[in-house]
Amino acid sequence: MFDNYRDVDERYVTDTTLVDVEGLHFSRGENDIFRGVDLRIPKGKITAVMGPSGTGKTTLLKLIGGQLVPDAGRVCIDGEDVHGLSRRALFRMRRRMGMLFQSGALFSDLSVFENVAFPLRVHTDLPEAMVRDIVLMKLQSVGLRGARNLSPAELSGGMARRVALARAVALDPELVLYDEPFVGQDPISMGVLVELIKTVNQALGLTAVIVSHDIKETLSIADYVYIIADGQVMAHGTPQTLDVNRDARVKQFVHGEPDGPVPFHYPAPDFYRDILASKGERS
Amino acid sequence: MMRPIASLGRSTLDALSALGRAAMFLAQSAVGIPSREGWHLWLRQMHFIGVMSLAIVLVSGLFIGMVLGLQGYTILVGFGAEDALGQMVALSLLRELAPVVAALLFAGRAGSALTAEIGLMKATEQLTSMEMIGVDPLRRIVAPRLWAGFISMPLLTVGFSVVGIWGGYLVGVQWLGVFDGSYWSNMQSSVAFVDDILNGMLKSVVFGLVVTWIAVFQGYDLIPTSEGISRATTRTVVYSSLAVLGLDFVLTALMFGELG
Repeated sequence: MFDNYRDVDERYVTDTTLVDVEGLHFSRGENDIFRGVDLRIPKGKITAVMGPSGTGKTTLLKLIGGQLVPDAGRVCIDGEDVHGLSRRALFRMRRRMGMLFQSGALFSDLSVFENVAFPLRVHTDLPEAMVRDIVLMKLQSVGLRGARNLSPAELSGGMARRVALARAVALDPELVLYDEPFVGQDPISMGVLVELIKTVNQALGLTAVIVSHDIKETLSIADYVYIIADGQVMAHGTPQTLDVNRDARVKQFVHGEPDGPVPFHYPAPDFYRDILASKGERS
Repeated sequence: MMRPIASLGRSTLDALSALGRAAMFLAQSAVGIPSREGWHLWLRQMHFIGVMSLAIVLVSGLFIGMVLGLQGYTILVGFGAEDALGQMVALSLLRELAPVVAALLFAGRAGSALTAEIGLMKATEQLTSMEMIGVDPLRRIVAPRLWAGFISMPLLTVGFSVVGIWGGYLVGVQWLGVFDGSYWSNMQSSVAFVDDILNGMLKSVVFGLVVTWIAVFQGYDLIPTSEGISRATTRTVVYSSLAVLGLDFVLTALMFGELG
C-alpha cells in the first residue's frame, strides 16, 4: 500500500543511517502494538515519528533505547543490534544517547545543577571546575543558568523539560530521543522548546528522533516524518510531501480533521437502539 | 469446574514468577557492594534507614524493657525468685524480642518508606531516565539501600537490647527494689555470648536482609500508579511482618530446638 521504507526520499537520506529499525513486531498481551515497522533514521537529521495517541510512539522509543525487547525484528544503532547486547554493553551504548522524557524525569533529590552534572559525574573523570563549566554552558543554552540552585519541585513544567534537555545533551550524545516534548506546554514554552530543539540539534550536529502528535510544531523542525497507525508505518516523507499527501488517513491526521477514516466515535451499538433500550430498562 | 483449577494454576505461576524476579533482582543488586565511589550513596542511606529509625526503635525498646521488668517481677516475686529478673529480661530481649520487634518496627518505618520512594521514582520515570543515561538503577538506587538495611538492622537490634535491659533495670531495681547486684550478676552468669547474643544477632541479620529485600523489590516491581504505590507499600509491611515472624520460628527451632 505504501512505499517500503527503503524507498525514502533520496534527497533526504544522503548520509549514513544511525538507527535502522527492521520488521519490528511488538505486542502487550493480546494487543499488537507493532506489526512489522521499518524505519531508517539518518545521522545529523531530525526525524519525527508521529501518529494518533495510543499507537505506541513512546513504546518505539523504549524499543530503540533497549528498555523493551521486540517479539521479532531488530533495532540497530550504528550497525549494532541493540537487543543482542549484554546488559553492560547496552548501558555503555546508552551513554551515546540522550532521552528527553515527557515528564522531564529529573531526579527529585538533586538540584538543577546536579541533575545536569549527573551524567558527567558518573561517566567521566573530569575535574570539578570543568564539570561546573560544562553544566553552566548547557544551562545557559536552555536559558536556565540562573535556576541552577533550584530543586526540580520548584520548576514549572516547561522549565523542567528545558533542564531535562540540558541533561540529555550533557555528554554531547550522538542520538537524542524526544518523547512528546511539546505536550501540556503553554504557547510560550512550546515556542521556546521548538526553537531549543532545533538550535541544539544544529549546534551539536545531533541525530534526533521526535515522537509527537503536535503536528504544527513537529513539522516545523523535522527533516523527515514517519506516521504510524495500526501498528505499521502509514506514511513517510518530508513535511512538504506529507502536507500534500492525498491518502485519506494521512490527510485526516496531518490536517487535524475530527472525523474521517479514524472515526470520532468509539465502536458502539446503534445510537437509536441504545437510547430505546435504556428507556425500556427504566420503564 | 475448570475455572477454579485454572485460576489456582495462574496464581501459582504468578507467585513463582514473582519469586523468580525477586531472586534475580537480589542477585543483580547485591553485586553493588559499597565501593569507594558509591560510599556517599551508601552513607546517605545508612542515615535515612538506620539513624532515622533509631528514635522509634530505642523508645520502643525502653518501653518493652520496662514492661518486661514489671511483668517479670510480678511473676517471679510469687516464687521468691525476683533476683532472676535480670536474667529473664536479658534472655527475652536478646533471643527474641529485640530482633523480632526491631525488625517489625523497621519494616513499618524504613521498609514502607523505601517502597514508596523507589515506587515514586519509577512512577515519575526517574529510574527509566537513569537507565537511559547509562546508569544501572539496581546498582545506583537499590544496592545502597539494600546494603544499608542489611547493616543497620543488627545495629538497631543492639540498641534495642541495650535500652530494653536498662528499661528493665529502671522498673525492677530503681522502682520495685530488686537488688541491683543480683540483677546484673544473674544476667552476666546466664547469658552466653554465642548461644544468646550471637544467635540473636544472626536473626537480626537475616531479618534485615529479608525486610529490605522485600521493601526495595516491592518498590521496583510495582505498577507505577498512585494505587500501585499504595498497594505495594501495604504489601511491604504485610509480607515483611509475616516473613519475620515465620523466619523467627524457623531460626529459633534451628538455634534453640535442641536445648529442650
